[in-house]
Amino acid sequence: MINPFVYFLFFLKASLFSTGGFSNLPSLHQDLLANGWAKETYFGQSIAIGQISPGPNGLWVICLGYLSYGYPGAALALLAITLPALLVLFVSAGYTRIEQQTWVQGLMRGISLAVCGILLTVVWSIIHQPGVDWRGWLIAAAAAGVGATGRVHLLLILAFAAGVGLLLYR
Amino acid sequence: MKLQQAAPDAWRLFRIWASIGLQSFGGGASTTFLIRRAFITKNGWLNEEEMQRFWNLSVFTPGINLVALCVLIGKKLGGGLGVFLSLVGFLIPSATITCLLTVGFTVVESIPAIQAMLRGVAPATGGIMLLVGLSFARPLTLVIYKEGVIKLILSAAIIVGCVLTIVVFKVAVILVVLVSALLGVLFFTPRRIAISSEEGTL
Repeated sequence: MINPFVYFLFFLKASLFSTGGFSNLPSLHQDLLANGWAKETYFGQSIAIGQISPGPNGLWVICLGYLSYGYPGAALALLAITLPALLVLFVSAGYTRIEQQTWVQGLMRGISLAVCGILLTVVWSIIHQPGVDWRGWLIAAAAAGVGATGRVHLLLILAFAAGVGLLLYR
Repeated sequence: MKLQQAAPDAWRLFRIWASIGLQSFGGGASTTFLIRRAFITKNGWLNEEEMQRFWNLSVFTPGINLVALCVLIGKKLGGGLGVFLSLVGFLIPSATITCLLTVGFTVVESIPAIQAMLRGVAPATGGIMLLVGLSFARPLTLVIYKEGVIKLILSAAIIVGCVLTIVVFKVAVILVVLVSALLGVLFFTPRRIAISSEEGTL
């Protein structure tokens, strides 16, 4: 039985201790699986649906919320990713006082480098989902290659990948 | 370049953010493009420096950077009401569609063809995520490249370190960000005050 309050706190914690739309994945993965409130497959499914649907990437947690806890789960997930963003108003107030300091530039550089690393770990966790074999790796490489040209719309790439999946795995 | 124009009313903000939310597919890059077009290029409500500053602040903030950016732009152009309506416009329509798509998915997920398609889509999203990471790293790399080989190697080492500590040693992400920020202060603080328009280019 899911405790809505604890469930919300899991999502809020994951969002508060993350940066960007996907780095909350490891924390949610740990907490929800430990309580038996989500299945491993939910994560891969959520990210795929999140990519197909509009809005910021971070909305993948709405899918995770719905899959694990229905409409209340989706609503709680939305609230949990919205609230931390309001902290930017406090950050903004403090930042005007310190932005002239040279160490702030160093700090921003360090954070930017960490974000690069975190994005790479998300790539890793996506292609490490159950059901992704060596053919999946090829699909990932092809999607990155085609996407890098910047000439094909991302939705078309995903549609094509769906077609390839249909041919390979049915 | 356009001059700054009078701020839009809060409902216009709502409509603009709703259209940005509904048009952004495939995440980060396309959304930032739409945001820049709506607020800098098309209407001139923000200039490049403000956008850069807002972006840096958003990266500092926990959670989804684009949502924090939405808060800052809403605040600047419409105050408290602007923040509220920008957030509602950006998130509610797109979140509703996301949720309905998930509902649709649970109806058809047991169909083998759907499962096969999803097995193709999932790794493709991984490939696209790699591009998101690279597009974030590219402007950064160009700046660091000019600073010399030592800093380039140091930067690469920090990135690799972040990946390893998260994937192999399962260290909490926030801890990794904090340590990396500290290393940034130690190794990348300029000796003299320089123009700070280089980081995390939007």
